[in-house]
Amino acid sequence: MCGICGCADKANDVTLIDPETGDKTLIRQGGLLQEHNSDPHRHHHDHHPAHPPHEGQDTPHIHSPSGEVISLEQAILSKNDQIAARNRGWFEGRGVLALNLVSSPGAGKTTLLERTIRDLASERAIYVIEGDQMTSNDAERVRDAGAKALQINTGAGCHLEADMIADAVDQLDPVPGALLLIENVGNLVCPSMFDLGEKMKVAVISTTEGEDKPLKYPHMFRAAETVLINKIDISEVVEFDEASCRRNIAEVNPNATVISLSAKTGENFGPWLSMLVSDGK
Amino acid sequence: MHELGLSRNIVSIVSEAADGNPVARVKLAIGPLACVETKALQFCWDIVTEDGPLNGATLEIVAAEGDTFLIKEFEFGEMA
Repeated sequence: MCGICGCADKANDVTLIDPETGDKTLIRQGGLLQEHNSDPHRHHHDHHPAHPPHEGQDTPHIHSPSGEVISLEQAILSKNDQIAARNRGWFEGRGVLALNLVSSPGAGKTTLLERTIRDLASERAIYVIEGDQMTSNDAERVRDAGAKALQINTGAGCHLEADMIADAVDQLDPVPGALLLIENVGNLVCPSMFDLGEKMKVAVISTTEGEDKPLKYPHMFRAAETVLINKIDISEVVEFDEASCRRNIAEVNPNATVISLSAKTGENFGPWLSMLVSDGK
Repeated sequence: MHELGLSRNIVSIVSEAADGNPVARVKLAIGPLACVETKALQFCWDIVTEDGPLNGATLEIVAAEGDTFLIKEFEFGEMA
């Protein structure tokens, strides 16, 4: 998908949209990791990262004798991971439960959010960050359901990254004790690599997708602590074998909590809601 | 899947560490669970290094364990 997307392209701009006012903020221009100074505290060059100081990390200012080898030992996603760790601390400090919802397109994440918001509105303040390549349709849907929502358009990008969440949370400013639901871009590959600072990833698979999705996309199902099997109301019609799907999930991730439910009819929605009320436990 | 973006990350980290000095070689360690296609990474390396201090730098990849995805080291090149 994005291996050939041409990252300097305008199509790779990332924008934040407030569906209430229609205000658009450009949070990333063109390519990955381009610095922008909307918040100097968040994007300053960190020469002394919070990571354990590796040998050689502080040597960049030596003037290069040709052929000298500098040991870096730096994780390539460390910048993302640092921002994710900061997000996580922010969430924990305020008692905000942040969940990162991942699935293939059309598994029913947005419908799941709509029902969750309607059912939980009286129990907990709910905020939603919607990630999609284009349009703010989803943010409008969840806002209509009663949650405060922001839309992130990733342009050509195939996943959300921690700095986008940091910018969105800045604007959303969730109250202490709130529930923050992050709907990632519909994609079972890339989002598994990028920590956003969430308490856990929740993978949604639907009965129309076939029982072997967890085996085909093991990285994602391994990264998720909870798996929701959605559209269980039509499982008979589409000849979905729930037992085999659960076996496949267990094969790649034996510790996952698996809940079958229907976001449309509300069937077996209770266990999911009580998990949200009890802070993901 | 997104090796172009990842290789830009690598270039950005190494350029910053090299402080603008020319770089001749970059060595990565990649594990089998890192979700990174090494061939795709090699493929876009020449393009992302074309302008700037990493121009002409070779990319060396060593196998590692688990989901390791690290820049091990880099080597300074000749001053232009």
